[in-house]
Amino acid sequence: MLARIAQELFWLGRDLTRAEHTARMLDGAFHADVAGALADRGVTLSWEGVVAIIGAKPPAPGEKRRAPTDVPPPFDRHEVAALLTIDMATPASIASCIDRARERARTLRDVISTEMWEALNSFFLSLGRYDLQAALITGPYSAYQEVKERCALFWGLVERTMLHDESRSFLEAGGRIEAADMVLRMLRVAVPADLSAAAEGAQPGHEGEAIALLHAVGGVQAYQRAVRYAPALPAVVRFLLYDDGYPGSVAFSLQALRAALHTADAQPRSSPPVLRLGRLIADLELQRRTHEGFDQTLERVQHELELVDHDIDERYFAIAALAAVHL
Amino acid sequence: MPEVDDYHVPPGCCDELLDAGGEPREHAASLLATLQRLGPDALVAAGERREDIFMQQGITFEVTASDGARRDRPFPLDLVPRVMPAGEWTTIKRGLAQRIRALNAFVDDVYHAHEIVRAGIVPWSLIVSRPSFARPVHGVRAPGGVYCHVSGCDLVRDGDGSWRVLEDNVRTPSGISYVIENRVAMTRLMPELFAGHRVRPIDHYPSLLLDALRVVAPAGGEDPNVVVWTPGPLNPAYFEHTFLARQMGVELVEATDLVVRDAICFMRTTAGLQRVHAIYRRLDDDFIDPLEFRPDSLLGVPGLVRAYREGTVAIANAIGTGVADDKAIYHYVPEMIRFYLGEEPILGNVPTYLLTNERTRREVLKRLDELVVKPTSESGGKGVFIGPHASAAEREHQAQLIEADPARFIAQELVHLSTAPTEVGEGKLAPRHVDLRPFAVFGDEIRIVPGGLTRVALREGSLIVNSSQGGGSKDTWVLAEDGADELASGTYRPRRPPRLPDVRYGGWSGQEQQQQQ
Repeated sequence: MLARIAQELFWLGRDLTRAEHTARMLDGAFHADVAGALADRGVTLSWEGVVAIIGAKPPAPGEKRRAPTDVPPPFDRHEVAALLTIDMATPASIASCIDRARERARTLRDVISTEMWEALNSFFLSLGRYDLQAALITGPYSAYQEVKERCALFWGLVERTMLHDESRSFLEAGGRIEAADMVLRMLRVAVPADLSAAAEGAQPGHEGEAIALLHAVGGVQAYQRAVRYAPALPAVVRFLLYDDGYPGSVAFSLQALRAALHTADAQPRSSPPVLRLGRLIADLELQRRTHEGFDQTLERVQHELELVDHDIDERYFAIAALAAVHL
Repeated sequence: MPEVDDYHVPPGCCDELLDAGGEPREHAASLLATLQRLGPDALVAAGERREDIFMQQGITFEVTASDGARRDRPFPLDLVPRVMPAGEWTTIKRGLAQRIRALNAFVDDVYHAHEIVRAGIVPWSLIVSRPSFARPVHGVRAPGGVYCHVSGCDLVRDGDGSWRVLEDNVRTPSGISYVIENRVAMTRLMPELFAGHRVRPIDHYPSLLLDALRVVAPAGGEDPNVVVWTPGPLNPAYFEHTFLARQMGVELVEATDLVVRDAICFMRTTAGLQRVHAIYRRLDDDFIDPLEFRPDSLLGVPGLVRAYREGTVAIANAIGTGVADDKAIYHYVPEMIRFYLGEEPILGNVPTYLLTNERTRREVLKRLDELVVKPTSESGGKGVFIGPHASAAEREHQAQLIEADPARFIAQELVHLSTAPTEVGEGKLAPRHVDLRPFAVFGDEIRIVPGGLTRVALREGSLIVNSSQGGGSKDTWVLAEDGADELASGTYRPRRPPRLPDVRYGGWSGQEQQQQQ
């Protein structure tokens, strides 16, 4: 298939998944903030944390970039929630993500099913109808609920109406790599450097933080059914990193990403991203058993994932980008 | 807050948020200021969203209408929270823990040594005549010596501002799911109210309960299998049963899922029979085992009591705890605390009169117009007679009932339940009577979630707060202490997020836009 189309599909999947994860994270942070007293328990799924995860507002042209050593100014919830939900000037905001996804889908009408397009388009249009500004003030719960539901609707229609072909694989790959990336970012920000994987539940005081993390991924009940112990931070981090049965875990997303690329690739056996992913998944499986400190694991996995991302670019899309430069 | 002149606290009562002069109490000042700033319209708007959210999430309470039809109503949550300062809560917490320890000791004593009977404090004839006295468990010691794993005593604040226990409940108290859902709903509906408050979280209750059940489960080193046992979807509290099972991540079982073989309890799974170690049961003793209790019970598991007697399964609450929260036993609880613990009760009783004593009975009948009369073996506010609100004919009728069977009733002094500002339509606030049901969990120690269920009588002047009788509820805030915070079990320095790779914005149109810029 056309490299340009493949790239658009890949990023359509990424944008939608990013919107959904952002909505879940903001809802989680909002709830943790309002439900209170968590700050005393060392929760870092704070507004600063969310900004760090999603990528702080990039400097406008001419604006001086903040030195990374600066302590970020305290954010408050109204500021951050507005910035990351409705601000069209912020590329990381949910509204921007949906806008981009819809623009991409517009150029993909022949590839995706009509039902998918309509779901996405009405999602975009509903953002305009919704008084988000007011919703953010009275309580953004319903707005985030809407984002989650609309995203789920889209992926459900993919499941029901889209042909299992290369295009679908790239769409799927985009969704999966973004999910893995978002969860990794969140874990890196929220997990204290000294948290040891071996000390299951031995560190008290992290329970609120653990619950907040699960909320921010939407995995509270999955965790409760799978682990059946009160959420302790190390156990939750293990769950979100390694669990084979939970579709939001990093391991699960990586396996699905690998499967999607394997299907899409003409020669998967010699494909750098597929091979690299195979190594990364095996490495993760090893980490699960050796109880290395989370900090190093998270950093390494994220670094590897970046390389996978570049490999994907190189192998499938670079050829189209080359043309774009010469436009 | 509307004009204070509009807000009339009933005489003899004290208000939770306003002092006698009509000024906001210190701990409520900022809440009331926020309410005033938002104005009545915000309350009305939030109220509309509330109904939608509750119906959508299925947080409902089944009521039987006057025509006999049963229908689901959204659980009525009042949007004005009740606020409690840290110090007050500490007293309540200590008082409750003390009372529950005594009740637990009493249950153990009733089925074993009868020390309190031999000491001449509680008459044996009274204990054995309680309908909830469970002969089949005589001599059975519950695992870990814990009987009252879950309790929800009803507290009220009297006119003088002091807290009293109105009723004990150590059978299957319900309401904790509403406490947690109320808090979630409040953070979604009225997030502005939380600003400037440090409200102690309550959402860890399911973990507390699960831990307690695991502690008492006789699993012998295995990973204990805990289940929640519901009588079925027709039970009015079914929502709570599913809630707890979901939150604890354990199976919700019905009687047909359980089976006892050779005095060991199993559940039927796709992989065959699987051992059950602890059962959090949400049905009364009477129904749990047709071989030992009511033979006509279809909800029970034959042989379960035998398994319990053998100590192969823990049942929470233990069988036979109902004897401790019987309204006729209530009278003796302060004495129990002195007897078993050697302590003075921190929380008092409401003055109560047993009507079996001829002289007391005559006194009570004379003062029937100022007392409350309750049947001893009813719950849910059924059959409660409130003297000052009763007509002469009703009083006459009640007097006849008492004369016919004095042991069936107790009489209590009327408590002037405290009031709290409550939305009564169009965003207007008026005082309505409230009580408080904190929930305690007893595993290896007693743990109580901050606050509890505040029930509110939505009808003006009404003192009956039961949700089956038109009561509503409020979110209950226990404020965190300033400075030293017991929640901060470890101190964590604020962490600066690590440097993450930049978020990528890729794809064709991304590049296009970049080129256009």
